[in-house]
Amino acid sequence: MDLQFSDEQLQFQAEVRAWIAENLDRPWSVECRDPKHDADSLVEVRREWQRKLHKAGFLGMGWPEEWGGRGATEVEEAIFTAELYRADAPQIPNFLGISLLGPALIHHGSEEQRRRFIPPMLTGDEIWCQGFSEPGSGSDLASLRARAEPDGEDFRIHGQKVWTTFGPWSNWIFVLARTDPDDRYGGISFFLMPLEQEGVEVRAIKQISGESEFGEVFFDGALAKREHLIGQIGEGWRIAMTVLGYERGATTLAYPAENDTYLADLISGVKENGDFERADVREKLARLVVENEVLRANGLRTLATLAAGQAPGPESSMEKILWSEYAQRQSDAALDLLGPQAQLQPRAPGARETFDWAYQFLWSRAGTIYSGSSEIQRNIIAKRVLGMPTK
Amino acid sequence: MQFELDDERSLLRSSTRELLEGEAALEDTRSLMEDASEGYSKAFFGQLAELGYFGLLLSEDEGGADMGALGLAAVLAEMGRVALPGPFLESVVASEILRRAEGDAAAALLARVVAGDALVVLADREGLGGAAPAPIATRLEAGQLTGVKTFVPFGEQADALIVTTADGLALAQRPDAGWSASPLPTLDHAQRFAQIELGGPAELLAVQDGALDAAGRLGTLGAAALLFGLMERSLEIALAYMMERQAFGSPLAGFQALQHRAADMLIKVETTRSAVFRAAWALDQRTEDAPFLVAVAKAWAGDAGRLVCGESIQVHGGVGYTWEYDPHVYLKRVKTLEAFFGSTREQLEAALHLAPVAAG
Repeated sequence: MDLQFSDEQLQFQAEVRAWIAENLDRPWSVECRDPKHDADSLVEVRREWQRKLHKAGFLGMGWPEEWGGRGATEVEEAIFTAELYRADAPQIPNFLGISLLGPALIHHGSEEQRRRFIPPMLTGDEIWCQGFSEPGSGSDLASLRARAEPDGEDFRIHGQKVWTTFGPWSNWIFVLARTDPDDRYGGISFFLMPLEQEGVEVRAIKQISGESEFGEVFFDGALAKREHLIGQIGEGWRIAMTVLGYERGATTLAYPAENDTYLADLISGVKENGDFERADVREKLARLVVENEVLRANGLRTLATLAAGQAPGPESSMEKILWSEYAQRQSDAALDLLGPQAQLQPRAPGARETFDWAYQFLWSRAGTIYSGSSEIQRNIIAKRVLGMPTK
Repeated sequence: MQFELDDERSLLRSSTRELLEGEAALEDTRSLMEDASEGYSKAFFGQLAELGYFGLLLSEDEGGADMGALGLAAVLAEMGRVALPGPFLESVVASEILRRAEGDAAAALLARVVAGDALVVLADREGLGGAAPAPIATRLEAGQLTGVKTFVPFGEQADALIVTTADGLALAQRPDAGWSASPLPTLDHAQRFAQIELGGPAELLAVQDGALDAAGRLGTLGAAALLFGLMERSLEIALAYMMERQAFGSPLAGFQALQHRAADMLIKVETTRSAVFRAAWALDQRTEDAPFLVAVAKAWAGDAGRLVCGESIQVHGGVGYTWEYDPHVYLKRVKTLEAFFGSTREQLEAALHLAPVAAG
């Protein structure tokens, strides 16, 4: 048993921390409340941040050297991500492109496709959104109905995609579409398509937070070129499922690190209000502190298992449930313990200058739904880990 | 990095499992609950002593196995799986105090504990209510003890007591000790507690600074490891039942309502494993945050154990409420462990007090 970082890993952590201190102008939560910004200019802040990260060699660290990688290990990726979260750095606009499409291109794409798409993805010159979910196909993704009809060598896409993160600012979309209506899994193919073309309409979706970070995309005979098909016809499902699995480990220490910053803010707010010595308040805070530390213990275990070259065990399949449900408890508690001030919008007079708890409270409702809802995660644990039968 | 136990401790864990399954299986726990007034098998504890289990934490110089907190956690997890009755962890805590004590009497007593010739337990609690023990009123004056200790584990069976007093730690030993013990039966039918009226001679037990805290911390970690073993096995028992029992034409395990309950049980079991073994590792490494991590592990394990072992009764349905089926044995032991070795509320307070995010 060894849960400590090696000297090299600690040195890497120190380097990352120093680099962020030097290069990050201000935390994202502060950036967001600057009245000079609107949604578009905030995307530009993110793009600029992505460029800096890319220049410094921090994007796609685990990829082959040819594509900007540095052969980074899972532990280094986890350290890096945790430092970004700890510093409240902006999320890069191409996070889905880099975490999902990048690996898909590297493992399943052609040399030409890699050369064409990876460099502008890394620089942020082309922003990608993900076209997987549909209005009728969320958790049951394989029921998707968007269809790709052959048109000579190429395809014409008809259908609707939804929850396309960054859709309104994206240039390209990676799409799962049906090439065979009768084959549930083998009838799905993986296409890359530009959004600026005839037959594509992108609409923003207004979320419960009031923002429109997600969109929906309507395809009415839009062109998907044969040269932009990843893998073979009918391989889309397999490719999508493999790339979704590559993500393991990277955020395993990031959520607890981010929660530390939230908890520190919550506790300092409680102290400012003179409530820190109240027994009921202390118990609530203590339960959050304990649960976040358990999250970290679990993350260290996942990481240690990956680092030892073993497949992660049951602890990794529960990670999503753990952090997403914890986030709801944390912001619930903050709104309770900090009182109505925590419900103020960030630019309201008297709002806390540190964290926007009102936003966190609302945003935490999304975490238990996206990327496989808590219910789907529990189905997976019951069936794949505990071996419980399908009725 | 590596989460797995090293070879030595893995072997310790697997040989302990084999030993317990052969000599102290759940059926044995059940029969002890039914009839043994001792509350545990002295013969089996003798066997444990012979195999060196009471010297797990002692250094090789002290005649021990030097297995550290990780070794202790591995062993206790196994003991939790069979809900082993008896004062094993209590003896470990007493030994941890005795090895940090001065004087020949302590050293001689420690040797007897390790050899299985004496049962020594800590009598540190006064009062019956509250999450934390009441302030210590017991006195040691002119070599005589006066006071009443409550919830002394296996106090009727003990050969010696380490007593917390307002005058320092005291050591009282049979046969000349003048104390009287009366049973305090609790809902845990495999546990033995006593209320002890102290009187008669005792000697002051001089210990190194922090000895009681250090021993207490191992007790807390050990209780968390026991809780982990209890819930790990409890989930297995519940799953086996759900796979076998048919209702509406399919096994219970096929119903999504129960699958989600089982998933939540697994989450509690596995997160507890992560927290307990990390805390044990931190104790062995003497990391700065080890006391914090131990408090976290015990606070979490107490809540998690109650949930898992309570759910195990629920998914069994009516038979879960019968004496005949096993789930209740586990839930009862969970309640004992939740309340002692530093109750959940005490650990929550300790965790907040020690949390790096609450500093400053």
